[in-house]
Amino acid sequence: MSSDGARGISRFAMEILVAAATAALGVAVCYGSTEAGAGWTEMGPDAGYFPFYVGLLIVFGSVMNMSLAVTRHRKLGVIFLDARRIKSVSSFLLPLVAYAAVSSFLGLYVGTALYIAFAMHFQGKYKWWIALPSGLAVAAVFFVVFEVGFKVPLLKGPVEAWFGIY
Amino acid sequence: MGNIGLLFEGFGHILTFQHVLLMMVGVTLGILVGVLPGLGAPNGVSLLLPLTFSMDPISGIILLSCMYWGALFGGSTTSILFNIPGEPSSVATTFDGYPMAKAGQASRALTLAFVSAGIGALAGVVMITLLSGWVANFALRFSSPEYFAVYFLAFASFISMGSSAPSKTLVSMMLGFALASVGMDTISGNLRLTFDIPELIKGISFLIAVMGLFGIGELLLTTEEGLRFEGIKARVRISEVGRTLLELPRYWFTVLRSIFIGILMGITPAGPTAASFMSYGLASRSARDKSNFGKGDPRGIVAPETADHSAGTSALLPMLALGVPGSATAAVMMGGLMIWGLTPGPMLFVERPDFVWGLIASMYLGNIVAVILVIATVPLYASILRVPFTIIGPVIVAVIFSGAYQVSNSLTDVWLVVLFGLLGYIFKKLDYPLAPLVLAMVLGDKAEDAFRQSMLLSSGKLSIFWSNGLVSTLMAIGCLLLLSPLLMWVLGISRRRMTRPDLQQGPSENPL
Repeated sequence: MSSDGARGISRFAMEILVAAATAALGVAVCYGSTEAGAGWTEMGPDAGYFPFYVGLLIVFGSVMNMSLAVTRHRKLGVIFLDARRIKSVSSFLLPLVAYAAVSSFLGLYVGTALYIAFAMHFQGKYKWWIALPSGLAVAAVFFVVFEVGFKVPLLKGPVEAWFGIY
Repeated sequence: MGNIGLLFEGFGHILTFQHVLLMMVGVTLGILVGVLPGLGAPNGVSLLLPLTFSMDPISGIILLSCMYWGALFGGSTTSILFNIPGEPSSVATTFDGYPMAKAGQASRALTLAFVSAGIGALAGVVMITLLSGWVANFALRFSSPEYFAVYFLAFASFISMGSSAPSKTLVSMMLGFALASVGMDTISGNLRLTFDIPELIKGISFLIAVMGLFGIGELLLTTEEGLRFEGIKARVRISEVGRTLLELPRYWFTVLRSIFIGILMGITPAGPTAASFMSYGLASRSARDKSNFGKGDPRGIVAPETADHSAGTSALLPMLALGVPGSATAAVMMGGLMIWGLTPGPMLFVERPDFVWGLIASMYLGNIVAVILVIATVPLYASILRVPFTIIGPVIVAVIFSGAYQVSNSLTDVWLVVLFGLLGYIFKKLDYPLAPLVLAMVLGDKAEDAFRQSMLLSSGKLSIFWSNGLVSTLMAIGCLLLLSPLLMWVLGISRRRMTRPDLQQGPSENPL
């Protein structure tokens, strides 16, 4: 029934994929639990005793979900994500990932300023002389609220060090 | 009545300038997160939690609980003015709220919503005042098997009452338990499920999960639709507020019924979302004149709002008295209590009555503050949604990342938030429920401890869960709830077989 011309990932494929992933996680939990000891010691249940059954239940639920997907979603041809949505979601997601990456090196304040400026300029089509000060302003507000107000510092990087802010 | 006396003492603890100020800050921030897409009550409370570590617990809980009330109000504001529910529990408010606002009666719709919400919330608090001491006293008799049975009951009711497929609820919940057990085992001190990754030794905080699942996940969903708000210009006129207040007594029966539904759904983990839908459904089905429902019937606003808020407040009763939260937000708050060094449950009533009754007193005052503040500031918040998403979206992301970092000053957490965000996005799209995952992450250790201690008591025999009347009853109800989806399924099949020939299903229905 995927005759509506929309290309993209089908819901059926996604259901199967996610169920397979959760099943794999369940197996990993079981494996990790047996490594920690899923049995019985003289002090009572071992560390992996409880998580082992949790892992088993994850596998059980995943198998149920997979059969549910086969009986319910296979013939429907519902699209999980079409090309247009993949584009708009990734245009939000990728800068977000870059933000996390940049913050690892330059600290969260600089990362925040750059990220906001970037998003405003490239997605919001704002001129850079509006976007950049806005980014700096948000970072400055964060500094005042977190560092000065609540005394919970954020990660600082080399740029702050140049200015002598610790 | 002992409870009333304790309540007045509680008022004595909280009636200070500083606490009232915190209430106003909490409510204001709450309305803000309720209005903003991608931020909701559980998320807002998670973001605020690290900032309360340096406060005394009473101030902290006032700030957090008032944020919760504010978020509930904020969610209804966007439902009415923008047809966008700010919270899942205010979806039902869009059905009649938006049409009424669109017909030029925005003030009337907002006032109806806020005031009936306030009444619902106060009813919930009255119930907590009257019942919490009694429930806590009852729960003092519990030992580990009873506790495990209560947890079991809570999780079983999620599986049977949830709107998602039971197996999806199961997977989501068990993932929560698995995530909760990562890191150091609280009883033996051994490491487990860390897979030799040093970052996992300290475990995975439920706050990180909430920020990712509810925050980033929600934002990704929002971007998919390409955000365009079709808002209604709203100014709340005092005269219209007054006229609506006079109109309200006419709906007393709807209000009473909605309070009843809300309290019931709030105490059980069905939660505010189920309550508001059910209340709306009942109101529209039982009305003598149904023609106006969906076009701006006042009862269509009063019913879901009252139920939503009474359920939202009632959800704190099991959290306080039993240590079993009734909603995702209550779960986050309970996690906060544990971080402050308080153990929710019956012993809290014995050890820290000042905290418990201070909180309950603050719920009365906080909700009244919330109703007044929200009516006064609605136009301001409505204008926030006119700021383009290309600015608001990234700012929300930045707030979430900063909050995630502050949980334990670690960048790993920021990356985990991104991962949880993707998980939340995919889970939401595939109808996996997220609340059970959060609940399991918060309760995981406690449920496991209860289970292992019971096993220790009985040296490994499961029969301990059937050893006395109380624990057997709890377990029996839990098992019944667990089996109910199966029963429904069998019933459904037999009924379908009987009516098959004349059952005309549309093309949108499952062809199988």
